[in-house]
Amino acid sequence: MTRSSWVETSLSEVPKTSHDLSLSYLSPDARLAILTDYTEHRTRVLRGEPLGLDPARFPNQPWLAPAARGLRRCPPDEDVRGYGIFTFPYGPVTGGVPEAVRFDVRTYGERILELTPVTGFKRRGVLAGIAGLPLPDAALRVERMVGNLSAAHVTAFLTAAESARGLPVPERELWTRALALELQRIYNHLHAVARVAESAAQSVGQAQVHALSEEVLRLAGWAFGHRWLFGALLPGGPDRRLEPSDRRTIGTRIARISADFQTLWDLLSHTRIFVDRIQGTSPIPRREAIRWGAVGPTLRASSVGWDDRVHAPIPPYTDLFVAVPQGIDGDALDRIAVRVGEIQSSTLAIEQILDRWPAASGEIPPEPCVEAHRGIARVEGPNGDLIYDVTMQGDRVAGASCRSASEANLPLLALGSRQSVFTDFSFAWESFGFVIAEVDR
Amino acid sequence: MIGTGTGALLASLGLFFAGIPLSLRSRKLSYLACLLGSLALLGTSLEVLAFHPVAPVSWIGPLGTPEGIGLDGLSAFFALVASLVWIATSLFSLAYDTGTSRLLAPTYSLTLGAIALLFLANDAILFLVGWELMTVASYGMILQAPGRPGRTFSAAFIFLAFGEGSTLAIFLALAGLWSVSGTFRFVPLVSTGLVTSGIFLAALVGFGLKMGVAPFHMSEWLPIAHSSAPSNASAVLSATLTLAGTYGLFRILSLLGPSPSWWGAVVLTMGATSALLGALFAAVSEHSKGLPAYSTIENNGLVLVALGVALMARSEGLPVLFAFALYAAFYQALAHAVAKAALFLHAGYIDRTTGTFDLNAIRGRAKEPGSPAFPAFLVAGTSLAAGPPLAGFVSEWMILEALFQSYRFPDPLLRLVGLLAGAAVALAAGLIAAAMVKFLGFGMLWNPRRSAPARMGARALASPILGISAVVAGIGISAPWILAGLGGPAIVFARASVPPPIGGALSIPAGWSIVSGAPFGIISPPGLPLALLFGALVGIGYLWLRGRPRWRRSPPWMAGNPVQVPDESYSAFAFSTGLRLMLRGMFRTREARTTHGPTTWATLQMPGSYDVELEVFDAFKAFYDALERGGLGLSAALKSALMPGRLGQYVAYILVATLIVILYVAIVF
Amino acid sequence: MSTWIQQAVARGRLTTRFPWAPPNEEEAPITAHAPEVPPPATRTLPLAAPVCPTGAIESEGVRQGACIRCARCLSHGLTPTGPVDLMASSIALLRSPSGLRHEPPSVRSPSPGFRRSLHVFLIDVGSCNACNREALGLANPYYDSQRLGIFFTNSPRHADVLLVVGIPTREMLPSLSRTYEAMPGPKAVVAIGACALEGGIFHGNPHAALPLSDHVPVDAYVPGCPPPPLAILSALWRVMRGPPSREGP
Repeated sequence: MTRSSWVETSLSEVPKTSHDLSLSYLSPDARLAILTDYTEHRTRVLRGEPLGLDPARFPNQPWLAPAARGLRRCPPDEDVRGYGIFTFPYGPVTGGVPEAVRFDVRTYGERILELTPVTGFKRRGVLAGIAGLPLPDAALRVERMVGNLSAAHVTAFLTAAESARGLPVPERELWTRALALELQRIYNHLHAVARVAESAAQSVGQAQVHALSEEVLRLAGWAFGHRWLFGALLPGGPDRRLEPSDRRTIGTRIARISADFQTLWDLLSHTRIFVDRIQGTSPIPRREAIRWGAVGPTLRASSVGWDDRVHAPIPPYTDLFVAVPQGIDGDALDRIAVRVGEIQSSTLAIEQILDRWPAASGEIPPEPCVEAHRGIARVEGPNGDLIYDVTMQGDRVAGASCRSASEANLPLLALGSRQSVFTDFSFAWESFGFVIAEVDR
Repeated sequence: MIGTGTGALLASLGLFFAGIPLSLRSRKLSYLACLLGSLALLGTSLEVLAFHPVAPVSWIGPLGTPEGIGLDGLSAFFALVASLVWIATSLFSLAYDTGTSRLLAPTYSLTLGAIALLFLANDAILFLVGWELMTVASYGMILQAPGRPGRTFSAAFIFLAFGEGSTLAIFLALAGLWSVSGTFRFVPLVSTGLVTSGIFLAALVGFGLKMGVAPFHMSEWLPIAHSSAPSNASAVLSATLTLAGTYGLFRILSLLGPSPSWWGAVVLTMGATSALLGALFAAVSEHSKGLPAYSTIENNGLVLVALGVALMARSEGLPVLFAFALYAAFYQALAHAVAKAALFLHAGYIDRTTGTFDLNAIRGRAKEPGSPAFPAFLVAGTSLAAGPPLAGFVSEWMILEALFQSYRFPDPLLRLVGLLAGAAVALAAGLIAAAMVKFLGFGMLWNPRRSAPARMGARALASPILGISAVVAGIGISAPWILAGLGGPAIVFARASVPPPIGGALSIPAGWSIVSGAPFGIISPPGLPLALLFGALVGIGYLWLRGRPRWRRSPPWMAGNPVQVPDESYSAFAFSTGLRLMLRGMFRTREARTTHGPTTWATLQMPGSYDVELEVFDAFKAFYDALERGGLGLSAALKSALMPGRLGQYVAYILVATLIVILYVAIVF
Repeated sequence: MSTWIQQAVARGRLTTRFPWAPPNEEEAPITAHAPEVPPPATRTLPLAAPVCPTGAIESEGVRQGACIRCARCLSHGLTPTGPVDLMASSIALLRSPSGLRHEPPSVRSPSPGFRRSLHVFLIDVGSCNACNREALGLANPYYDSQRLGIFFTNSPRHADVLLVVGIPTREMLPSLSRTYEAMPGPKAVVAIGACALEGGIFHGNPHAALPLSDHVPVDAYVPGCPPPPLAILSALWRVMRGPPSREGP
């Protein structure tokens, strides 16, 4: 099936009735349909048509619907039976996965017959807790919800909120967000590469890439006052005026880090042991990636060239050139290779951002809102497409929901791990780049 | 004339056979008779071995001529091993046989009597009678398995079919002996040539079938036959029935005399293959009796390996290596029989208490606190896994040492055979250790608390197991002295002077160590436990001086899960899945899947729920299956061709037959 | 052709001199530490108190453990306290979660068992992932905790120190106490990050069960949101060796 026909069939399924807040309850197909055609989305919004999906046609997916309490299994109600098969619970406290999540592995030894991620251990109820708060206070919580993806989350959240309130945004603010996003993308991608190298026992490569990741963190700390960009993008926060000399410094340092990384990657990708371990590991065929609504590098590794920065851009990405690297086989190697490509493309994007940094503080009109006081925004975060749906009441947040990239990709971990052996698990896990903090919000 | 020795022999035979009618009155009486018979046999064998191993005890019959019953060094050694096992199994049976079947006791007695007769037989006729009685009686014994009549019957039938096959081959071998020597008595042959080679091959097939060695092991017959039988029967079958096969081979070889070196190479190859295959299949078995049954195949293979090296060494003129390998073979037969008896008896205990043979299911299934015999379980299993300082370790060491010395063979081809066999045996040793770790680990996951047994009779079941495993430990530690007593059987086997154990093949300075070859390697079985004991004492003393350590019990670490996930216990199957997948070429591992239930997201193609089985196959099973199909096809074809049910054809048969008779009569007379 | 060795040599020494020399500004950024006012001007504190989202500003000073470094109070008269001398200050280590800046630091019973090496096990009980990254980042060449004998281990069975990150959620409480129980003695617990100390921005969260010391005995607290890696390193170093000395190795 070619991409265009796939888009058409998906679009024909988009119904015309209104529906509740959360995109996260949609089935993968439907979700993809709405995500795929942003133009359609915008025209419908402009025409004043309600946006949403018919719950009868796209029944809720229980594992995606966040339960108020307790643990969730993904996907539920499936089992593998047979002689000698048992469940091997891995987590929630392990050294291999530093976040609190459990995997119930059904196995007869050696081989993963079925892997069920169980989440909900570190659910803090952040988004439920921000209802009723003023926007700056709400944003303070949103950015501290997922530390290593703070820029993506806060950008998506603020963009949705601004769209809901219909407030224009200072242009420099938008460019600052883009800069923060790209920096964050680079250090998360570097981290992912380092973790995979670590799993493959490439100690030297791991240390070198980790060092580069630390350098980007320091650069972020220097430029934004916080290594993890907390507080950098908040409305009413400290105004970060990047002087031309500062911008030059950022540009040169990022360019050097990117170049250093390319050298390291050349060495790593010519290391037989490293490549052997990740090639063919946990493959996600293109069709499955589309069916399950994979996002981000996972989707692009399975040869679907979708990137929000290109296909559903928010300003200033509308004015930037962003290269979209793609994989072919959708295996762990491709997912890592896509990240490597994105480190380069982000470097290029940062160069453009710094070159065209707005001189005066002009204002940009907000995105059109979906309904009155309700805005939806999508941002390409480091590990994929992130959607926020925010309803405002005056200055205060009335409600917010979010569909994170990790959440969208979690079933694909279950799919990709089947039939692989235990030792492949860490490669699969690291190559997807999951952040459980964004699943258990 | 009946001396004390022959008197005891006849008495023991009588007691065994008296067990059959006695069982009508009481099963216990019949087992007691077997126990007394075994004791008598043990006493006589010890006497023969100790005082006149070379000169046989034989019964001078009423006519003043020696009859076919007697005992020489070789048979005395095997009778000794068997009677040791029987003492334990008879004691065990006293407490064990409380089931419904009244036929178990008489068939048990008959089996013991038949095997004893086989050991005592001095001529081919008696030997065959014993052999056939043994096959039929053990067939009857297997049929007494509780429950599962259908499966038991087919298992027993397979057993009987192979037993009769082996009888045929042995009949051929004995007929060959008769044709050369002209007598049914077991007398040494003088001529060598094609006939002796034929006799050797027929004997190898016949006795090999009984020993269950490759290529006759057929993944099914030994394991199933033994594991579906009652436990006391399994112990008798695995420890002593296969021993009878071993004895038969030794006996025939002793009559055939010096051999061409290819005999040794054939025996060695067969042995090494069986050791490897037995170990492989033991490692992937989860049946509490199937696993030790595969281990029997491995151990009998090891006996053949040692015998093969011995034969090759004799042909190549290496008397020291010949003697050393021969002692290793004897010792291996002894070590295996006693340890395996303990293991099978304990498997019976597991079955009694947990009601299952499946190692996966044993965990948490105990109806009562653990086995009082579990130290015995540990000792026997460790010995079979060749753990020092037990008997299995000594025999494994000796066999490997013998194989290491295959570099002494002048013929490079024989050196190569020895080399490859050595690699196979070493691999088998590793695999069997893994299998035993699994067996011991998962076989004891049922509250191995040493609290008082709750059920009456548990102690009675346990004490014979404990006793026999004490023997396992004892013969391991005192291996040099045991070996010193094996000079007699070796001389009987070789029909020539053999380098004696002490000062000769083993060159034991004071009986404290074993030195292989001339001299090659050295171990000290009694010194090892002493050193261990010393180390333990030093450790305890150190701890005592430092003060008692503080103990803290903490629950097992389950990745931070406070509650048990249902069905989360590591399965015995999973323990060996790595092997199944790694050696998928050898096991022909195949994953069979069947989807069940609807997939949750029906429109999507996420694979849903399914059943999965990981299956392994034995290549030989395919061969036997083909044989069976061929046999059935042939018989069906013959049936339809020869007996089509037409009257005219039958009349023609009668006519032809009459004609042939008339012609024969006309020509001969 | 470039090789790993050439790479390593070309990049030179990256590792910090800490604890043998004071850290530089890059390693311990000003903004990673709680704002403060100079002692004579403490009257500014009540003015700044209402803007603090976590209520960390009190009339006597700023509660280090509660401050999330959001910098809102900077426009109300407070100033950043850095660059901080991690070697002497209490910033890296607090005795109680709500400690003030000038309280003397101390560690509960520094154990003789920790003299030469320290094996650290990280447990996430509800973090945003930033503290996890900063803690595990100690192994990277810039901090290289291994040179001090501080190692991260994959099982609590081998651990001396339990490093707790995140706000303890109710789902993770049983796992937390199980993990602590699984560690052999002598053992220590170090809580890092504002969330683990006082809940940080999520204080008062109904999903959380604070304080942490109700569930495991905490020996040291490292404030920050997230704490900079050197603060964590300094805390571990002090748990291992007692107060750091200024002498070389």
